[in-house]
Amino acid sequence: MICSVSLVYHLIRLIRLGSPKDFSKKRGNLKSAISYSFIGAMNPLKKESAYLHLPTYTAGILYHIGTFVSIIAFFFFIFQFGFANSLQWILICILTASSISGLGIFLKRTTQKKLRSLSNPDDYISNLLVTVFQFFTMIALISEAFAPYYFICAGILLLYLPLGKLKHSLYFFAARYHLGFFYGWRGIWPEKNGGYIE
Amino acid sequence: MMELNDKKNTALKILAEPKDSKLVTHLNSCVHCGLCAESCMYYLATKDERFIPARKVELISSLYQRYCTVTGKYFPKLVNARELDEEMTGEMVDQLFGACTLCGRCTKHCSIGVDIAYVVKTGRQMLSTMGMVPATLQSTVNAALTTGNNMAIPVEEFKDTISWMEEELRDEINDPQASIPLNVPDTNILYTLNPREAKFFPLSISAMAKIFYAAKESWTLSTNMYDVTNYAFFSADMHGAATIAGRLYDETLKLNAKRCVLAECGHGSRAFRWEGPNYLQKSYPFDVLTSVELIAEYISSSRIKLDKKLNNELITLHDPCNLVRNGGIINQQRFIIKNTAREFIEMTPHGTDNFCCGGGGGQLAMSEYNERRMKIAEIKADQIRKTGASVVATPCHNCVDQLMQIDNKFKLGVKVKTLAEIVADAIVLEN
Repeated sequence: MICSVSLVYHLIRLIRLGSPKDFSKKRGNLKSAISYSFIGAMNPLKKESAYLHLPTYTAGILYHIGTFVSIIAFFFFIFQFGFANSLQWILICILTASSISGLGIFLKRTTQKKLRSLSNPDDYISNLLVTVFQFFTMIALISEAFAPYYFICAGILLLYLPLGKLKHSLYFFAARYHLGFFYGWRGIWPEKNGGYIE
Repeated sequence: MMELNDKKNTALKILAEPKDSKLVTHLNSCVHCGLCAESCMYYLATKDERFIPARKVELISSLYQRYCTVTGKYFPKLVNARELDEEMTGEMVDQLFGACTLCGRCTKHCSIGVDIAYVVKTGRQMLSTMGMVPATLQSTVNAALTTGNNMAIPVEEFKDTISWMEEELRDEINDPQASIPLNVPDTNILYTLNPREAKFFPLSISAMAKIFYAAKESWTLSTNMYDVTNYAFFSADMHGAATIAGRLYDETLKLNAKRCVLAECGHGSRAFRWEGPNYLQKSYPFDVLTSVELIAEYISSSRIKLDKKLNNELITLHDPCNLVRNGGIINQQRFIIKNTAREFIEMTPHGTDNFCCGGGGGQLAMSEYNERRMKIAEIKADQIRKTGASVVATPCHNCVDQLMQIDNKFKLGVKVKTLAEIVADAIVLEN
């Protein structure tokens, strides 16, 4: 409840602040640029942060898939919906891989000097909390006996979420919107080869 | 002490009272993944962790955390919330002014989509509010504000240079009627210049005049306001930037030109075309376009005739960040070169992924950071060397200056030219 209220507060604030008012003459198509920002521009071949760092990128993707699975599973547990047996094992496999990825990202942050120089306690706590949450989701899928530990972990995560960088679960979407707006207004995105070639 | 606190409070107001959701979004989005490091020339060339783009964002977001969030106020260590003190402002000046060209390469490649260049510029704006812009950059802004152009060229000297170039033009095309018009009202085009052209590279003025002559264009220069640059864009002095943009706006209206054409200047074209209307809080009632777009128009509509054989050397192209990655002029310059030169080779990477020349973001004006500027220039030197080209074309006079210094320092043996010069060399004049 606290988490939801806090995130709704951030969302309402973003909406109230609104989009930038740009007085310059628009050159591109905002709709297609914003959708490109969420889809085409996220293509790993388009971003150095992906194609120059494939192992980290892959771990990051797995980690985030695990987070989404855990959130969906959380609502299933709350409303006591069951999972089909085969689906349950698929989810367990995904969460195993994502938990390992989360741990890998955590270890990278602790061992690499470059990343340590960038990190604050919130970075470590957020990373660890989400990893443990995924791990407990996986355990809870295996045995209901672990449910109390799972709910304690979920509670801590949800309480912590609005305090630190986990808020990027909301702001990520706003960031992609603004980037699409910026590049779209000036006709830079979506990238195209048309016009003055040859 | 009181004055210092006032300045600090004014700077912090930029964070506390955002005018839209953009700043809040980008200050809350960075996850410190560090994957932006390899997209930054400063980090690539020095491996100095202070230069990782996320560290620059962190400087501003740590202030945002400290002064604008509950977590930062009550648990500052948790999120590395910091005070705006002397140590902090020192770091900000060094990293935001001295280690960033505002090229926006990190922004494009950020895993989340944080507009890092925008956040850095916000930090510069805070420093500008506190009067902490590096002295050399500030003096360039002051020159523009007090004299009307960033090189403080007196009007008489400017008129002499134009008159000299007019003579050159007449000699070259053998037409005593050819002219470089000054202050003519009701033309189709008000053309602007980078004051570097008038001061150091006047042949680029006659090159553009030759293109206008060939296209039979109705155009003029203004002696009152011809400076396309806006260094207050780099110092993020919003009042100064608005004053400079306002002068060009007023002059275009005064001369009643249909189009204001911006000379080959990356930041100048960005500052007037894209940022200017927002500095002035109004839309322009006239068209604004870059000379690159105009020349491409002339070629595609056959208003000028060209002979590729007149440019025989292998040409490569440097994409200015403000014109390309941040301005969307991507294909026009390629179209122009392919129509004016026999051989063209791209750099790797190029287009919106191109590396900055190293002179952007006001670096060329800030001699305090010369050593760093030329250190990061190694990347551009390598890019040029690998093409094997003997001519580097670029539609930006700032880039021309930096590329000439790169050529000199790294012994590349290339000629650096503007697009107007390359086009002028290939023009075939009809009788």
